[in-house]
Order: sequence, then C-alpha cells, then structure tokens
Amino acid sequence: MQKILIIEDDPKIAGHLKIFIEKYGYLATVIQDFDDIMKQFRIEQPDLVLLDINLPAFDGYYWCRQIRLESICPVLFISARTGEMDQVMALENGGDDFITKPFHPDIVMAKIRSHLRRAYGAYAAKHEECILEAEGLKLYPERFELHFRGSQTHLTKKESDILESLLDRYPRVAGREDLLEKLWDDQTYVDENTLNVNITRVRKKLQELGIERAVETVRGAGYRLRISWEVEE
Amino acid sequence: MKLFFREHMFLIAVQVIQFMVVFLTIWLSGFHNVSAIFYAIFLQVFFFVCYLAYHFFSRRNYYEKLEEGIERLEDALENTDRAPIAKQLDSILKRQYQLYATELREAEERQEEHLEFVDRWVHQMKTPLSVIELTAQNLDEPDSSSIREETERMKSGLNTVLYMARLRTIEHDFHIKPVRLSNIVRDVNTENKRFYIRSAVYPKLVEQQAEMVVESDEKWLFFILEQLIQNAVKYSAGKSNQIEIHLYNRGSSAVLEVRDEGTGIPVEDQRRVFHKFYTGSNGRKYRESTGMGLYLVKEVSERLGHKVEMESVVGEGSIFRIVFSPTQNLTPM
Repeated sequence: MQKILIIEDDPKIAGHLKIFIEKYGYLATVIQDFDDIMKQFRIEQPDLVLLDINLPAFDGYYWCRQIRLESICPVLFISARTGEMDQVMALENGGDDFITKPFHPDIVMAKIRSHLRRAYGAYAAKHEECILEAEGLKLYPERFELHFRGSQTHLTKKESDILESLLDRYPRVAGREDLLEKLWDDQTYVDENTLNVNITRVRKKLQELGIERAVETVRGAGYRLRISWEVEE
Repeated sequence: MKLFFREHMFLIAVQVIQFMVVFLTIWLSGFHNVSAIFYAIFLQVFFFVCYLAYHFFSRRNYYEKLEEGIERLEDALENTDRAPIAKQLDSILKRQYQLYATELREAEERQEEHLEFVDRWVHQMKTPLSVIELTAQNLDEPDSSSIREETERMKSGLNTVLYMARLRTIEHDFHIKPVRLSNIVRDVNTENKRFYIRSAVYPKLVEQQAEMVVESDEKWLFFILEQLIQNAVKYSAGKSNQIEIHLYNRGSSAVLEVRDEGTGIPVEDQRRVFHKFYTGSNGRKYRESTGMGLYLVKEVSERLGHKVEMESVVGEGSIFRIVFSPTQNLTPM
C-alpha cells in the first residue's frame, strides 16, 4: 500500500485530507511535530508528500529542498497563496505540482493518483483498484463496470459518475448540485436535463442487474441510494 | 512688477512728500535759486530711483514667485534670488516641502502596511473556509449544499477584496502575454460551475472564429470575465436558462461578448453602472450587489487597454463586450 505524508499545520484540514486519502486505499500519515520534519520523513519513507507553504518555523519551500536532498518522491504543494510567484517558487524548489486552497478533494485525489502513476509506473501492481460497494453492489469506477451477484454491466462515464456519488454518499442524499457538478464537462456544458436523462439511464442499468427502485428522488435535494434488494448474510 | 509697486507705494508717497517739504523749507527760508533747488531734488530723485531699480532687479524672481505662486511641488525647491529675503523664502518653502514629503511617505507606508495586512488576512481566511467546506461535504442534503453556497459567496467576496487591494499597484502586477480566449472562457466557466448550476443558468460558447488569441494579462482578464459572467447569470436567474459567450472579430479587433436574456438595465442607470458603489435599481432588487464589480471591470480594462461596451434593454437582456484593440489581437487571420 502506498504511503502519503501530509505536512499541514491546520489539524482539521490535515484530518480531512487523511480521511479522503484513506478512502481511496492509500496509507496517510499526518506530521505532528513541525520542528524536525525530516526525522519523521526518514521514518515514514512516504511515496508522496502533500506540503503546505505556511508552516511554523520553516516554510514549505525549505522542507521541500530538504526532502529533495534525499528523495525524489513526488511533492505536491497545497497552499492558500495564489500568486504566480508562489507557484514558480514551489516548482523551482523541487515541488511537482501546486494546489490552491480552498481545494476540491476530488482534484487533490486525482493529482495524487496521477503523480503516483507517473513516479512508480503506470498502474503499478501495488495500487489496488478502487471499488465502491454497498451490500453486494460493486462499482469499479476506473473500469466503468457495475457488478451485482455474479452479473455485470458496462456504464458510460456519466452513469459511472452518478453511481460513484450515490455509493459514496450512501446512506446520505447525493445533492443535485453535486451530481451536476460531477457531470459538468469542459467541452459540453450540462443543463438540468442532463441529470434527469442520466438518472433514468442509471435506473435502467440497475434494472438490468435485477435491482428495482434503488435510486430514490428526494425532492428539492437530490437523489439517494436505497437498498431495495434483500441483503445476503 | 505690480506687487513690487504696491509694496513700495507708501515709500514712494513718503518720498514725494519729503521732496515737497524740503523744497518748501528751502524756499521759505528765503533761498530763491529755483534751478539749484531743483537740481538738489533731481539728485535725490535720481538716487531714489536707482535704489528702487536695484531693489527690483535683485529681487525680480522673488517678486515673480510671490505673485504667481507655484504650479508643481518641485517648484518649491528652486532657488529664487540671492537677496536675503529671497533666501529666507526658499528655505521656508524647502522646509515645508520636506515636512509634507515625510508626512506623505508615512501615509504611504501606513497604506502599504494596511494592504499587506488585508492580503495576509484574506489568505488566512482561506484555510478555515476550506475546513468549513470539507466538513459541509460530509453533511446530508440540503444543509450540505446550503452551507457550501455560503462559503462560495465568502470565497468570491474574499477574491474581490484581493483584487481590489491589488488594483492600486496594478501596473506592477501585469504579466502581458498571449492569451487564448476560449481557454479563459472555459476556465471561468469551470470555476463557476456551482454558481451556474445553482442559478439554473447554463453557459453557451459561440466561437465565430476558433483559436482566438489576444495580448492581455491572464489573471486580470479572468477576473473581468468572471465579473461579467456572474452578473449575467445573476440577472438571468429565473428569467432565462442560458447565457451566451461570443468570440468574434469585428474589423481587426477581437471581441469577447457576454450576452444574457435577463432583467436588463434601465436607461437611467446605464450611464452610471460603471461608477464606484453604484448599484442602480437592479442592485437594490437583487441581493449581494456591491456596486464594485462593473467599476473594477472598467478600471482594469482601461489599464489593460481594452474597451468595455454595453447595450441593454429592460426586459430583454444585456450585452457586455470587451474589445481588444487591433494591436492586441494576435489571432491568425
């Protein structure tokens, strides 16, 4: 399992990052002592580092240079600073990428995955495939496949996105705005219909697997996954 | 000259009286040689006029300066004349100049300090904002979306503050380079995804010519476009579900146009929408109008050398255009 080191002095942000990263099957460690980051770095030997710029004692640029003296692992900066100079500094000091606060967790995850792929070979055996599961319903978001009791079906990108949100949010409601945001594509912009159409398609795909009425509409809020099938013990 | 005479009027009057008194005294004492008396008086007048002439010419600049005042601050530092009174005037002016300069510098330093404070504070606020946003994502709907709507408003408010603070030193902040317009439109749209979705208004990009490139500052152009788009969406919500962004050439100028079918701006407000803090009747009807958006658009565009045009009809919608001059248009023809 790949290990990610989080160097961020705001404990809540660090905590959130840790939860997100662990959800995607990586190991995450948060630095507690900012005086000797290198000691912990040597103990942990992480595969990737998330680094804030404003830290107590020394700043992130300094620590990045220190890390570079002994490791070539990817270093991603996460900072509230948005100036062009800050980004240049970050990359000049040995960083690999720059993410600005407030960040979207999906973007952070996507960047982490892309850098890990690049650094340790494409789809290295170490990396376990991401699976989202609820009571026997399994979604493979990287393959666009949905499995249920031995049968399986292929999904489009949009259908997979919707199911990913539903499973991820289960048992809570997946918000309308969040779903639309996820479907938003840079080339073709979405509108209200895109969501309705795709929800219908998702329901049809679930029917193919023998699941009826599993996607429940919550008026004024969004959609919720309902376990409408009998759960096997 | 005028001032000089006014200044010496009394002296001249006293002298004239003196001549008469001297003449009368000599005359009444019984000495009646007119030509000798007049000769003496003539000598007196001669010396007096000499004195006045010397006095005037040695202090000509001094009188000039007193009469005309100074136009520019630097004039206060020029040497006037060598006469003691002129030197004294110069030293007072110089001293005053120094005092003002110090005060000005202090004021500038204070302002600089304040701007830096604002800048840091805004950046500091981003971390708690991130925490609120991330925490809200774990809540159930509709609270989750509702909280994130508010954090987004705070985020855009903070950004405006940053840009506002940078506006003063905008010339140092420019990085002019070729910018591809369709990219910037896409970036702005992606950045404002949730705002579009929430308002149920969606963008449509119409490129009359693909690959349009202009010379501009990417960051500030992004800001301008974001303001225009946010306005278009805000005043379209509930009236229409689409705004159009057009890219085209007009003559040899490149034009970026944001077109909405929203409320429109009343004629009496149109002249003033670009004024600072002017919100107009629409601003009062819709919430969160600061009256800053279009003012900043205008200011920044002017400094970037872009023109802003506006057309609007109440009830039919508005069109805002950013016109890039022919020299800024790098689109291959």
